[in-house]
Amino acid sequence: MNLLAQVDPKTFWNAPNSSAELYVKLSLALLFGIGLAIGLMFAPPQMRKMVIFTVTFVSGLFYVLFWLFPAPINRQPSDAPRGPIEGLSFWISDSQSVVASLTNVISGFLIGLGIYSLLRVHLGKIAKQQKDWFFSAVLVTCLCLMVFFGYADWKQRLDPQNFILADPKNWGFINYGRDLLFDGLLQNMDAGMFSIVAFYIMSAAYRAFRARSVEATILLVTALIVILSLMGVVELMWGGVMDGISKENDGLKALAES
Amino acid sequence: MAINEPTNATHWSEKLQSVPKPVIFGILLLFSTVPLFFPVQLPNKPIDASIDFYAQAMKIPDGGKIILCSDWTNSTRGESKGEMEALLRILMRKHIKFVLLSIGDVQAPQVAKDTIREVSDEEVAKGGTAYKEFEDFVNLGYYAAAEGTILAINNKVLSVAQGKKDFPVGAGPKDALLSPVFSGIKTVSDFNMFILVTASSTNRTILERITNCPMMYMVTGVMVPENTSYYASGQLKGLCGGVKGVFDLENLMEYGINNPGPHEIESEKYKGESIPGWPGKTNTGKGTAYYFALHFALALLVVAVAIGNLGMFVAKRRSK
Amino acid sequence: MDYNLLKQFVAVIATVGLYSVLYKENKFYRFWEHVFMGLASGWGLVALWTEVLKSGWWDKMFGATASDGNGAAMGYWMYIILLPVGLMGYTVFSKKHNWMSRIPIGIILGLYSGQQFSAWMTYYGPLFTASMKPVLPNTSEFWKANPPVTGTVYGSEALTNLISLLTVLTVLTYFLFSFDVKSKVLKASSTTGRWLLMIGFGAIFGSTVMMRFTLLIDRMYFIWIEFVKQGLLHMK
Repeated sequence: MNLLAQVDPKTFWNAPNSSAELYVKLSLALLFGIGLAIGLMFAPPQMRKMVIFTVTFVSGLFYVLFWLFPAPINRQPSDAPRGPIEGLSFWISDSQSVVASLTNVISGFLIGLGIYSLLRVHLGKIAKQQKDWFFSAVLVTCLCLMVFFGYADWKQRLDPQNFILADPKNWGFINYGRDLLFDGLLQNMDAGMFSIVAFYIMSAAYRAFRARSVEATILLVTALIVILSLMGVVELMWGGVMDGISKENDGLKALAES
Repeated sequence: MAINEPTNATHWSEKLQSVPKPVIFGILLLFSTVPLFFPVQLPNKPIDASIDFYAQAMKIPDGGKIILCSDWTNSTRGESKGEMEALLRILMRKHIKFVLLSIGDVQAPQVAKDTIREVSDEEVAKGGTAYKEFEDFVNLGYYAAAEGTILAINNKVLSVAQGKKDFPVGAGPKDALLSPVFSGIKTVSDFNMFILVTASSTNRTILERITNCPMMYMVTGVMVPENTSYYASGQLKGLCGGVKGVFDLENLMEYGINNPGPHEIESEKYKGESIPGWPGKTNTGKGTAYYFALHFALALLVVAVAIGNLGMFVAKRRSK
Repeated sequence: MDYNLLKQFVAVIATVGLYSVLYKENKFYRFWEHVFMGLASGWGLVALWTEVLKSGWWDKMFGATASDGNGAAMGYWMYIILLPVGLMGYTVFSKKHNWMSRIPIGIILGLYSGQQFSAWMTYYGPLFTASMKPVLPNTSEFWKANPPVTGTVYGSEALTNLISLLTVLTVLTYFLFSFDVKSKVLKASSTTGRWLLMIGFGAIFGSTVMMRFTLLIDRMYFIWIEFVKQGLLHMK
């Protein structure tokens, strides 16, 4: 494969990087997309349900076809479809990775929705100086700090000259900042948050785990057996007892047979 | 979340059921902390799932290739990092190359890279070779759409890496497909194994979609009962669950399977085979460090539940 | 101060701050809680661009010229349509146009649902076949021989398989909610199923306890061993 040449063949759906053709097509497609979105804003209410239904159905139909439609077996890169049926089969098989890639992008935008919502709430609190707005300011400040250091660190590493940053000995202020915020604070606080549950499990097990009914007793006994089995020392002692009984049985069996 | 003060308990059976929360929390803190200062090597009998995990990992040929999906973050560091470290030691000692990706959490790729660097530095300090990014493993990063991505891996694995860049040692970012890890790879069945280290429901996503590559899972304790049924049905070739699983792996890495000796670990399934360990190398980690303290914490829970129920039974009899 | 020690010190203060909620809700805890949320969402934003959108959308849209050993790539201009489609999700905050947010969600849900046909079979198929085991022995020997003879179902194995099958059937009868269970046999089966479910829940509880305690022990190890003993006191 000549890595310096264009990898994909030129089609209507693509254009060379930084070419005028690409920018023109991008602009037209963007205008089309914006026009579509504006058009949907003026869609009559009766049409809205149909739009959502159609979009959802077509999306689902793709994977149903992917599962049900006969797929090529032992397909080689040089194979060409011999008819429309095989053509559709090849197209479905080739499109799956593109669909996965598109889904990644849409999911990415929807992940941003959660962060946008969080910012909306807390920036509103700061602007209106509502109760405990100081904590909202802390949240927004930490968010901005992480975005700054995280993005700056990533950008630095993209520069081919900065490969030395792989070694922490060559780190600068930005890299130390990112490491302190991510590894020092975020990761340790993540661990701390989840470990708090241990205290509540202990307290709840002590106060509420009572053998008040048959079901509760079965649950209690099973939980205690599993907990004991997780202790290697107990398991080894129990295994030793079982092995002892088993050997005694073998001895008795051999005696009976003789 | 304020502490509820206990009601005025008079009889000892009522007092047994109403020990104040600060006391419970304090005792739990003590039982979780003090044993850490007195590390004790406990005897252990690895379970079949852990033995299978180790055996299957050791059967991957030296220089083989796997896909490693790392979906954990420091929220489950106690178990997941121990699992990841044990797995990485095995992979690095056998020079197994791997493709690293994440589908569960945006923080997971960075956490995985940090762990790989730590284990690599540890191996170098003990006379081993460093594991180089791009040469020995390639990091594909995070994928937001887990379901579509895993399906694409099963059907056209190279398409998943298209457009992704990784950082070779001593150079700028390069196309991930140019990595030696991908050389000779055409489909997912060219990989020897698909190993998932997870603390979330990505286990189900992968189980539903990967059909062309054998799989093994390393999961947290809470996921062990669910994943045990997949292991029992043969969908998983091995399973490492919780800190017990980590401790089992560390034992297996030290003593191997069916190797004669004072600490021989026997396995009926692998009878006739002797699978080696790496005695003398760094095999102990979080499993060994935490297992002793875990005994105390679990024993405390058993005692607490017993005391509470004893108090309840005595109080019931009194009221009759 | 050594950077690693500073990093650990900051982490310990943050952990203690979070643990202060165990006593009662307080401003110190709330401060660190908001620090955590801010950092987590900040990293989410960074990773969203660096891990997902840059390589999966921007670079695919604009392509690349060959450089530094990397091959050239064409730009696929249709990817720009994903921008207005993805941004439709943000119309959820609009009272008039919030219906449009269901379009990108519908795409994701539709794709996920379409996969469920094959995913369900791949997931449950092996579990079904693994549940169907022989319950009748084909040999007079009760205990399993060592080594076992291939194809032989020993008495002990048949008994284990029978218990397993009865467990599956009784648990399934517990979930018959669509009609009134009047038959005594079904009622007994449903009750047995409920009891067997409790065994499963007990096992899940036991494993959960192990996991949560391990997370706590890990935090104590970090504070007392890594920070205090090794970091501050320089002891091994």
